[in-house]
Order: sequence, then C-alpha cells, then structure tokens
Amino acid sequence: MAIYKTTGLSLKILLGLLLCWHISGFTQNENARTLFAENKTAIFQIRVIDVTSGSKSVIGSGFLVNAEGLIATNYHVIQLAASKPEQYRIEYLTAGDKIGDLRLVDVDVINDLALVSAQGLKAQPLSLAVAEPPIGVPVFALGNPLDLGLTVVPGTYNGINQTSYHPRVHFTGSLNAGMSGGPTLSEAGEVIGVNVSSAGNQVSFLVPMAALHELIVESQNSSGAAGGMTRRIGQQLFDDQEEKFSRMLALDWPTMPLGQAQVINELKPFVKCWGGSNSSSEKAQFLSADRTCRSEDNIYLRGKFNSGVIEYQFFWLEANKLNAPQFYAYYQRLFADFVPGNSAEEKDVGDFNCDDQFVISDDSSDTLQQKANKKSKRKTKTVFCVRAYKDYPQLYDVLFLQGTVDNSHGAFLSHFTLAGVSQKNAKAFARKLMGVAKWR
Amino acid sequence: MAVIIEVLGWGGKSRHHYRVEGPSVTIGRGYQNDVVLSDSHISASHLRLDAVGEGWQMSDLGSLNGVEIIKNPAADSDPLATVLAAGTEIKIGRTKLRIIADSHPVEAAKELHRLDKDVGQLNRFSIWLPLFLLVLVIDVATLYASSFIEWQWKNALSSILYTQVFLLMLALFWGGLGRFLREESNFLGHYNLILLATLVYSASDWLIGIIGYNLSAEFLVDTVAPLFNLSLVAVLLSANFALATNMLARQRWITSVGLVVLILIVSIANQIQAWGEFSPYPEYFAALELPVLQLGGAESVDQFIEGLDELFADADRLAEKD
Repeated sequence: MAIYKTTGLSLKILLGLLLCWHISGFTQNENARTLFAENKTAIFQIRVIDVTSGSKSVIGSGFLVNAEGLIATNYHVIQLAASKPEQYRIEYLTAGDKIGDLRLVDVDVINDLALVSAQGLKAQPLSLAVAEPPIGVPVFALGNPLDLGLTVVPGTYNGINQTSYHPRVHFTGSLNAGMSGGPTLSEAGEVIGVNVSSAGNQVSFLVPMAALHELIVESQNSSGAAGGMTRRIGQQLFDDQEEKFSRMLALDWPTMPLGQAQVINELKPFVKCWGGSNSSSEKAQFLSADRTCRSEDNIYLRGKFNSGVIEYQFFWLEANKLNAPQFYAYYQRLFADFVPGNSAEEKDVGDFNCDDQFVISDDSSDTLQQKANKKSKRKTKTVFCVRAYKDYPQLYDVLFLQGTVDNSHGAFLSHFTLAGVSQKNAKAFARKLMGVAKWR
Repeated sequence: MAVIIEVLGWGGKSRHHYRVEGPSVTIGRGYQNDVVLSDSHISASHLRLDAVGEGWQMSDLGSLNGVEIIKNPAADSDPLATVLAAGTEIKIGRTKLRIIADSHPVEAAKELHRLDKDVGQLNRFSIWLPLFLLVLVIDVATLYASSFIEWQWKNALSSILYTQVFLLMLALFWGGLGRFLREESNFLGHYNLILLATLVYSASDWLIGIIGYNLSAEFLVDTVAPLFNLSLVAVLLSANFALATNMLARQRWITSVGLVVLILIVSIANQIQAWGEFSPYPEYFAALELPVLQLGGAESVDQFIEGLDELFADADRLAEKD
C-alpha cells in the first residue's frame, strides 16, 4: 500500500533528479566552452623542430605561466632539444596559428617538467592553483591531441596518487599523445595539474602543481641550467636518489614470511608488491613461491633510457618430488635468468660488469641468540652487476642476486635491481637487504 | 721381361694387377686374351701390346670404343712418340689400366705404428659392449639428473637415440674410410675410440664445472673447457686417422690439429662480431652445483660489500666515452 501512496512523491524526486542532472550536464558543457574560449590564447602547441630537415619531430602542448612569456610543458616533449640543442630547436604555435621561437629555460626530469620562454608573447597567463581541489570535482584537460588542434577533455579530479614516491594526480579522463604538457583546469579556470601520461581506459596522470611552483621559483632564483642541461639533469637525478634512499634506508623495513624465509614487505610509498606460487599446479614437481616488489616511478630520460626503478624479488623453492640434482638443475635455470628493471641503450650506459662470490649471510643485526644458532648462517652465491651512466656521473644501475647453496632440497633467492643509484646507496641497500631478507 | 697391367680404381689406386710374360700382351673381354677384363664396354679382342725397346707399341684390334691414352711418360719429352713408356695410363671401355715393367719400383714398406697395435686391441666386441653400456648409462643419468619436469621415458629415449645414432654414424664413416684407404675396417675400434672420447668429455666437463664453480672462475667453464674439448677432438681425430689411413704420425697430427684450429677459427670468426657489442643484459656466472660439491669457503657480507668498490670503478671505465 505504501508504494502507491508514495508514487507521487517519488515521481517528483525523479523529475527533480533528472532536471538536476540535466542542469549539471548543461553547466559542465557551458564551463568547458567558457574555459576553452577564455584560455585558448595562453595554451600552445609546442613543437620540436629538426634543424636539418626543418620539420617537426615531436609535438606536445604547453601553457603560459607568467607575463614574462614563461611557458610550462613536459620534459619528455622537449627532451630532444635539451640533449641535442645543436640539432633541434623549439617553437610554439598559438590557437591563432602564430608561430614563434622558444628558448629552453629549465627542466625537472624527476617530475617530467620543463620551462621554455618566448620573446614578446602577449597573452594573459593562466592562473596556477595553490590549493588542491576536492576529490571528485570535474576538471578539464586541454591540449593538442594527435595534432588535431586545441581540444578540451572533461574528466574528474581523483586526488594525488599516494602509492608512488613521486606524486602524480590521478585524472579520470582520456589524455592522448600530443596533450602532454598541456594544463588541466578547474571549473574556476585555475591550472590544477600538467598533463603527463595515460594508463589507458580513462586513467590518466597529471604532474601536481607543487612541482611546477617549485621549478618556476628555482628557475627565477638561481641560474638554473647554467653549466648545461645534461649537468642539471645529472644533478637532479643524483639529488633525487639521495633523498629517496636516505628516507628508504632510514625506515625499519617491514618483513613477512615466505616459506621458511623472512622477506621484505611493501615499503610504502616506494614500491608495490605482488606474489604468486605454483602450489595450485598439479603437474608441479617442486614448490616455488615468489614475492615481487617494484616502484611505480619511472623517470624518463631519453629514447629508450629510463631510470629511478627500484625492484626487489624473493623466491622460496622446495624440491618436493625432485631429487637434489634435478632441483639444482631448475634452480640454476632460475638463477641464470635475471635482467635489470629499466631499459637503456649503448649511448646511455656502459656494459654491465659482474662479480660473483660465495658469501656467508650473517648480519650484525642478528641477535645473540640467532648467532648462537648456526642455522642462521647460510652459505650463498652472491652476484653483483653494475653499469655506469655515460652522461650522468656517479649514477649506476645495479643488479643483485643472492641464492643459498647449502641445502640440497630447498633454496632461498633474493634479487634486486636499482636504476640510477649512487655507489654509496647501492652498497647500503645491499647490506640492509642481506640483513633483513634471509632464511630463518 | 714381364709386363704388369694394373687395373686402377677410384683415385688412381691399383685395385689388382696382371703379370704377363713374353714380348706381347693381348687385352680384351674374350677368354683367349692374356688379360681378361669383364667391363661390358671392352671388345672381345680390344688391343695388343708389343714390347719395343724400353716401351710397348700398342695396336687397336678394331675395338668398338677405342683406346684413350690418359698419360704417357714418353710423350712428355716427345709429343709425337708412338711407343708407350712404362707408367702409361690408358682407358678402355670404363676401365683404367696402367702399364709398367716388373722392374718398376714400389714404395718402401711402412712401419706399423704403435697405435696400430694398441688401437688394434680396441677392435673387439668385448671392449665395445661395456663401453657402450657405460656411455648409455651416463647419458640416461645425465638426462635424468637435469630433468625438473615430470620424467617421461619417450622424451628421454628420442634424445638418447639421436646421440647414439650420431656416434654410430661417425664410427661407420671412419670404418668406411679405412675400408677404402687400407682395405681393412676397424669399425669397432673407431666406435670404441669415439665412446672413450665421449666418456672423457663427460668427465672433464663435470670436473671443470665443479672447479670453476668453487673458484668462481667463469673462464674455466667459458674458455678452458672448450679448449680442452677441442684438444680431445684433435686426439680422437689423430687416433682415428691412425686406424683408418696410412698417414705417418706427423701427417696425422698436422691434419688433426689443423682441422681443430680450423674449427677454432670458424667459431672465433662467428663470435668476433659480437665482441665489444653493447648488451643491455648482465652476463654473470650463474653456475650452481650441489651443496656436497661446494668445497671452498665463503666471505662475510662486509668483505663482499667492500669488494664492490672495484666493481664500480670498472663499470666507470666501461662507460667512458671514446
């Protein structure tokens, strides 16, 4: 009975909802239209021109951040001009099809930002948001997707991603190639992030404003990139890893069991972990369980060269149905199969240089009781590989591999790769990991 | 003076010969001839040779296919010579003949090499059977010990069959070569030599692997083991040559080592383009052996970490721009 009674009321509510929805849809469209119209003079297509061929090699977007003609964009948009200034120049194209030259002012490789400046560019700069907007508000990404002309993409602000060391704004909307470096605006017309990357299916990322504010201040206060862009990038990479590792190494690393071993759990916010095992497979002759942790950060440097990756991985193996030689045949196969977590080319890094030793895993952090128990000492084969960066001194990629070799029917294997790390930090990380991750 | 008619085989080697006394010789397919040949392209009465001074005058007896003079030493000095000198080679039908006098010198006798006697001992079934069984057992055991998926005999069988058939073919090749070059075949001798080499290979591979692992010395496995295997091939080749050919010891060794050096050059040539090439992947010594075979000591974590400085310095050197 009650249903009939309330029918009239629910209908009214429904109508009201529909109306509201319609109005909100209307305002969103209206907002997009005004934002586009009001700000298009301050948003540009950024083009990197190959000097020899005279044609564009890369396109992206950028926006005016102050009245002196300073334009913000992504580092990866202008990367070619930063590493080979004699081969590439940068220019802008306005919404009104006006072309002008740009000078590279400063970069922030860690956050994928760059500042370029234009002489005599007359336009109203965009205002940069100082505070973070609330989660869920509609925001609008602007840029030049696929060279199609200035475009607005509506989406939702989903806050700063807390699961990566270098914060990124999670934007639910579609960023496409060419929109990189463009602004994402709030309804009030303030820039709330710089378009940077997409994970597909409406999951996109923006560089938070804090990083841009900092870069603008730095470029005005100091000489910025004096001494060359390569040196500046090298210094940024070095400083970033110094800070990252000092924070990470100062932590009390959380542990968890893996078989009879103790391994390192998720080190937030540096890495995310996954795990698996073959225990559900009926054909499995042995037990293999693993835990793999990897950083979400991936600092793009150039071409196929990226850095900043932290990855650690543990395997617990039990022979089960295999006899000792068979088990070791598998173990050796696994042991031989590790590669670094980042990619690099010949012009970026030297060859890996490796060493292997038998090491007794026994750390000073062991308690006296553990020391008394001989079982806490494990004989391992330990491999360490290093390659140096060619352009950025004091930075290395390292690969570490340590497997127990004193048990015929079981093994515990630790592996890590660190990309873009100093010698001191790589050694400290290795020491700490060997002390924490062990067969108990 | 007697005349010797040699029937030549492949490569100009004498297959058998006829000795005919008297001043003249007839050759043909008919049984009335002094030299009777069964080649169907030879006429019943094909030719006659008459002794003239130091040589022979040849007369074609109206043969169907004629006579082809391949080589006449007399023609070397006098192109118009009609007399065939000793050492003349002719072809009638499809048969090659050499005509020489009974005073023709023969090669000096060759000393039986020691290997001939020793290796000759190997040509026995009673040696082959245990060797063969041993190789088979080792083959199966190696496969079994390295198999970490569910063991299936049919997979193992095909692998073992391939190896054994290959070894058998090798032995057959050497046996065939001996039959051809020395008219005797030491098939089992060759087979046993090859089986022995397989055993030495398995043992050395295993031993070098263990030493390399314990010393953390990748070059032992990378370089020393292949070089040892190549020397093993050289020894095997030389021993097989001794059994299958009439080569002198020096010739045998030069040939065997030469062949091995050739293999070495080809494999180096194959790798040479990869030398100094950049690889984005680390190449580390991944060998692992059973705990019972791990004999050496181990260093402490501190010692290991200290030792890394050198590695970083070397990495810097590798990354220096030219």
